[in-house]
Amino acid sequence: MAEEFSTEGMLDMYLFENEQLLEQLQEMVLEQKDAECFDEDSINEIFRTMHTIKGSSGIMMFDNITAISHKLEDVFYYLRESHPEHVPHVDLVAHVLRVEDFISNEMEKIRGGDSPDGEPGEIIADLDRFLEQLKSGGKEKGVEPPPENVYVAPKQFYIAPVATSASRFYKIYIHFFPETEMANVHAYKAVYALKEVAEDLLYSPEDIISDAESAAIILKDGFRILLQAQCSEEEVRKIIGVGYDIEKVDIFECKAEEFLQGFDFGEADDPLQIDLESSVEDIEARIEDVSAEESAQPSKPAKPAIAPGDFVIKSREPGKQKKLAKDKPKGEKASFIGVNVSKMDQLMELIGELVISESVVLQNPDLKVPGLNLDNFNKAAAQLSKISTDLQNVIMSMRMVPLTNTFQKMNRIVFDVSRKLGKDIEFVMVGEQTEVDKNIIEHISDPLMHLVRNAVDHGIETNEERIESGKPDKGKVTLSARTEAGKVWISVEDNGQGLDRNKILAKARKQGLLDEGKPDSAYSDKEVYQFITYPGFSTNEQITEYSGRGVGMDVVVQNIQAIGGTLDIESTPGLGSIMSLKIPLTLAIIDGIVMETGNSSFVMETGMIKEFVRVKEEMMIHEPDGEEYIMIRGECYPVLRLGRWYGLTEYQESVEDGVMLILEVEDKKVCLLVDKLIGEQEIVVKPIPSYIKKVKGLSGCTQLGDGSIALILDAGGLIE
Amino acid sequence: MSEMSELKRQEEQAASNEHDTQKGKYMTFKSGNEYFGLEIQYVNEIIQFQTITAIPETEDYIKGLINLRGKVIPVVDVRLRFKQEPFEYNDRTCIIVINVKSMMVGLIVEKIAEVVEIKEENILPPPNIGRADKSHHKYVYGIGKVGNAVKLLLDPDKLLNDEDLTVMEQANDMILEEE
Repeated sequence: MAEEFSTEGMLDMYLFENEQLLEQLQEMVLEQKDAECFDEDSINEIFRTMHTIKGSSGIMMFDNITAISHKLEDVFYYLRESHPEHVPHVDLVAHVLRVEDFISNEMEKIRGGDSPDGEPGEIIADLDRFLEQLKSGGKEKGVEPPPENVYVAPKQFYIAPVATSASRFYKIYIHFFPETEMANVHAYKAVYALKEVAEDLLYSPEDIISDAESAAIILKDGFRILLQAQCSEEEVRKIIGVGYDIEKVDIFECKAEEFLQGFDFGEADDPLQIDLESSVEDIEARIEDVSAEESAQPSKPAKPAIAPGDFVIKSREPGKQKKLAKDKPKGEKASFIGVNVSKMDQLMELIGELVISESVVLQNPDLKVPGLNLDNFNKAAAQLSKISTDLQNVIMSMRMVPLTNTFQKMNRIVFDVSRKLGKDIEFVMVGEQTEVDKNIIEHISDPLMHLVRNAVDHGIETNEERIESGKPDKGKVTLSARTEAGKVWISVEDNGQGLDRNKILAKARKQGLLDEGKPDSAYSDKEVYQFITYPGFSTNEQITEYSGRGVGMDVVVQNIQAIGGTLDIESTPGLGSIMSLKIPLTLAIIDGIVMETGNSSFVMETGMIKEFVRVKEEMMIHEPDGEEYIMIRGECYPVLRLGRWYGLTEYQESVEDGVMLILEVEDKKVCLLVDKLIGEQEIVVKPIPSYIKKVKGLSGCTQLGDGSIALILDAGGLIE
Repeated sequence: MSEMSELKRQEEQAASNEHDTQKGKYMTFKSGNEYFGLEIQYVNEIIQFQTITAIPETEDYIKGLINLRGKVIPVVDVRLRFKQEPFEYNDRTCIIVINVKSMMVGLIVEKIAEVVEIKEENILPPPNIGRADKSHHKYVYGIGKVGNAVKLLLDPDKLLNDEDLTVMEQANDMILEEE
């Protein structure tokens, strides 16, 4: 995709940024879809996201995107300002997702070089209705509608996550020398510094950036800050610093309740609103007392009515927290840089080449001349190997991406499909932090989508059917990921009806996939389930919007096999099925054992080989039909002669001249006979050119130290 | 060697010119008794014969893989592809590296001839006499006249991909048709 981008820088930037915004938006929305309402952070975040998208789309003159994001922004503006009760949360989520879909869709058109011509009218009308509904709901409760959302620059206005127990609250008064020029700018400097540590921060006067008047107010009344942070008083003092312009800094620690009241101290029964007017009076009251610092509690001014147009900050109602979705700990913000994937691939390739040339140098035949003193060379070589290994690890880790995004997409699919089908489904994600190579993620996204969709559509029964069969009425789809033995296991599990063995067999017979003479009972469950991965195979009589066309499972299997993975199907009738994908962690560099058979070199991943053994002829067991077995320490293994298997020439006939490799894949063991072992090496996996059709047991090729090509053996394929 | 460097020079010259001037130019080579022509735009380079890593269980005409400056590319023996008698490779055997639909493939040919220009009016469609052996015509899309000689013009895409449907794919096709 990346190469298809238009070269116009601004458009690229627009698409890239908005795509990320939308992705974050979706993640946030889906995370809270089961909560009763969005928490304040999310409302702000959605509001800001829409505002940004609107702004940039406006610049790019994509009017429909501008219009629709404007409308959603309106809705969230209302939510933010009025806190209406009884928000139909599920509808709200659906609306947000619909808008998000619309914008993504339009952006896809833009990327494809088309003009974004989608008609947002219907969605906008729906949003209007929704907003009306919200507003009328609000009026019944006697809440005054907020002022219309007119476009002003976003105000300095921070609302932060709920306090942790370690947070402390401070009231800070900064007094500047009366002759200070531009006191508002100095005040802003303090605010800016405090932002670094602040969990929550309010200050007065509000508008210190653009309002020149504020300088006068600050000089006259002092500058007041309410801070919630985890640091001590001294630290705060240090952060603000005592410049030549600051006359005095007073810091008082206060309680959370006082803090929540903002600058409008006192009125415990209505701690919700502050406004500028009260602040000013408040501070005047304080200035009289300022000499007696201990009596910092100000006299309580009468609460003035809110004038329309006043900037109103509502603080959190303590009782509201219960309704919020689970708090997300905000970690340290790491800094990121976006890099074009093709550059990463290039780097990867170069490092691959480096690894190869390193082995060309270090294993150079010239070094084998007897009588050379190589001590210094060996030392330097060891250093070089260490660096190149580190380099590899770093690039590998750069390419590792958590599955979180992919899983979130699945969350979305479950949400959409289950809503449309009217099924009540719980979606559980386990281990979404598991990291996988970026290339692999790209390949598993589609297959996973099919599997999840199938689970929701076919796997889980309708609500009525579930009640009939006496199951707890909520369907459950679990998507889990874990790493084990250098592979990633991703499974999609549902507690639905399971696969119907008889139905599959009947269909398979109809399609002529079964052996005529073989009775149904001769097929194992595993074999039967494999049939659903055949092209054109679907037991669903009705084609629904989501599945049943018989394309899907075969594509899933193809895509998974393309990256060297496998699909396992398990199912218990009436209890559900588990589809497990087993995929390699990375495709790029693996540790391998190089060996030779006939005139060809082969490589096998070290992890696949259990042990090497030299065997004697008398350990062999020959069956009349040509099958061979070998007894090693009382265990019997089937024998595979690599030379014979691939019809090579000049390979060792006698088992005593060769080496046996015991391979183990998923509890199946096999002995592989090769001529001799060459050594262990890090190998850069390259795909076999697509022109050559897949050969069983080969998973790729690599370049050896001498520049020749070796084929990579895949133990799984050999055992089959 | 001089023959090869001469060819390389010609080829480079052709490549360095505008795309338009490549039109009508054909790289010709000998295989069996016939001369074949490939449109020059498909030809990437000509390399000397090098060690080939055989791949088991493939068609006999796919000889294996070679390492072209870190790139792994498959090589095809053109004589075997045309079902002609195999020939001994020697150090004068050349591999033509072609690029078809961004896939690089090496063609082992018996002898490289020259780059010729064939005007469109000198290209005839292949004679379509109802011969049983039709497979031969699939990858020959035309016959070019150069003086008294004729060159069989090859469609590289078909040369590589025709009739290579695997049994599995054919089975799938049948199933799909049934659906």
